[in-house]
Amino acid sequence: MKLKRFFTSMLAITELELRKIRHDQSQIWMRLIQPILWLTVFGVTFSTIRVIPTGDYTYLQFLTPGVLAQSVIFVAIFYGINVVWERDLGLLNKLMSTPAPRSSIVLGKSLAGGLRGTFQALGILIIALVIGIDIILTPLSIIGMFVIIILCGICFSSMSMALASLFRTRERMMGVGQAITMPLFFASSAIYPVSIMPGWLQVIAVANPLSYVVDALRSLLVTGDLSGLGLDVLILLASAAVLLILASLGFRRMLV
Amino acid sequence: MIDNAVTVENLEKSYRKIKAIDGISFSVPEGEVFGLLGPNGAGKTTTIRILLTLIQPSAGSVLIFGMDTRQQSDKIRQMAGYVPQGISVDGELTAYENMLIYAKLYGLPSANRKKRINEVLEYIGLEDRANDMVKTYSGGMMRRLELAQSLINSPKILFLDEPSIGLDPNARNAMWEMVRKLRQELGTTIFLTTHDMVEADTLCDRIGIMDRGKLVIVGTPSDLKANVGGDVITVSAKNASLSEVIEQLGYQTIGEPSNGTADLLVKKGEKAIPRIVESFKEKGVELDSVFLKKPTLDDVFLKYTGSRIDDGAGWAQAKKTRMTYRRMAK
Repeated sequence: MKLKRFFTSMLAITELELRKIRHDQSQIWMRLIQPILWLTVFGVTFSTIRVIPTGDYTYLQFLTPGVLAQSVIFVAIFYGINVVWERDLGLLNKLMSTPAPRSSIVLGKSLAGGLRGTFQALGILIIALVIGIDIILTPLSIIGMFVIIILCGICFSSMSMALASLFRTRERMMGVGQAITMPLFFASSAIYPVSIMPGWLQVIAVANPLSYVVDALRSLLVTGDLSGLGLDVLILLASAAVLLILASLGFRRMLV
Repeated sequence: MIDNAVTVENLEKSYRKIKAIDGISFSVPEGEVFGLLGPNGAGKTTTIRILLTLIQPSAGSVLIFGMDTRQQSDKIRQMAGYVPQGISVDGELTAYENMLIYAKLYGLPSANRKKRINEVLEYIGLEDRANDMVKTYSGGMMRRLELAQSLINSPKILFLDEPSIGLDPNARNAMWEMVRKLRQELGTTIFLTTHDMVEADTLCDRIGIMDRGKLVIVGTPSDLKANVGGDVITVSAKNASLSEVIEQLGYQTIGEPSNGTADLLVKKGEKAIPRIVESFKEKGVELDSVFLKKPTLDDVFLKYTGSRIDDGAGWAQAKKTRMTYRRMAK
């Protein structure tokens, strides 16, 4: 009974967020612009000069999973700003006065963050196919991609909510978001392989959940070698759990 | 005990060294409209949030329909409605969607959701705007929708935090009408906070006056006003030291005379005026103006706390208190 209540609340919160996106779809289109530029400008340029060793695959093939992951985290990492905004308005106060468990609210919101990423992933996938990038298209690879994207969205939107409870203002959260997205992105295997990074950066890359997102997407969509996928998913699930707990704990602080 | 919707005993809430609520006790019988009246920063919102189990008290006990806020928060939340001071409906959704999400959060069975939502929207008079985006609503409509949202779970007790703050007079009257209707037709216990004396006077069966974390006095509006002990005659004279003269004449005042005006407390004010003007003249003070009014809750507030509820200092103080809390909470 309690569990049923938990899921009803969680899904209600997710529904709330998705309904908002449905009323205003422009943000989804706007947020496709940047990843398109990464693929068509950055990717195309770097694949002509061939400075990044990507083994048997073209640089664009290598880059596509990176851009997919990046487009999701760039949105998710600013998710906390919405929460601060809702806190300032009073919406959060009202939400917390319902019998819905706090963790179901956090989980519902981060799940919405994850689902939001799937729209973008779909857009990027279509563009990648249009510009002729060779991608594995099987039911498994597509479903797998969506699962990884959702997990990635959950991880980074809960990270953002946890940070929001520490920094507490929209302005600071803008700064925090700006400050951590690029390091997360560059210290991952999104745009170059970990093997060519300097030693210290490799250490960071291993601790960066984004590396596992990119790795999982790459094995699903490009290499087809699924041997490392289990570990990737496991690490992502563990990171999501830790970050969700941190975000739930932080939620209490938001309302003092 | 069971007859009381709210029983608060020796409630305290401290943030580090600041006492937001400093040992208050009161009770609200079922079906009553009870108001906490006081300036911003008096601790009213904190009290409401403790009653709603949103924050934990530092000391003391709070029972809602006999249930302890510390132990049975789920049950209390399920039977309570809450209209916070800020905004509680999402502008990016339609009114219906706002209601729908809360119907789900309160666990209304899916079979009755639609019926219940339409019923509440109709009750509150928003049924024809149900599918409009809330951001197109006027302030008064938004407030009504917030009230509707808080009724979705058919609450036994409704908490209204400054229900008419920021509304224009028409919307404010509509809101008051709504609250009266609710209490009359559904028998809902209503617990509200306000800094608006007129609101407290018109809506509440009983009022608790709150100032700097303390509950100063509780009573019905008419008893409280009778307690002031007569009518209030405000006299002003620019160029005289009023307090001295008043002392010599032996008049009773509420508060200290300031800015050349003083509030005298007298029985049967209408008849007293000529005598008062005469007596000041005898002392060589020519009064600029004399003003008689029946005591208001503001005078009650002045009598028990020594300051006016809405004077500048109070607001500045409230703002400062709030900022201190926020800083400490960070």
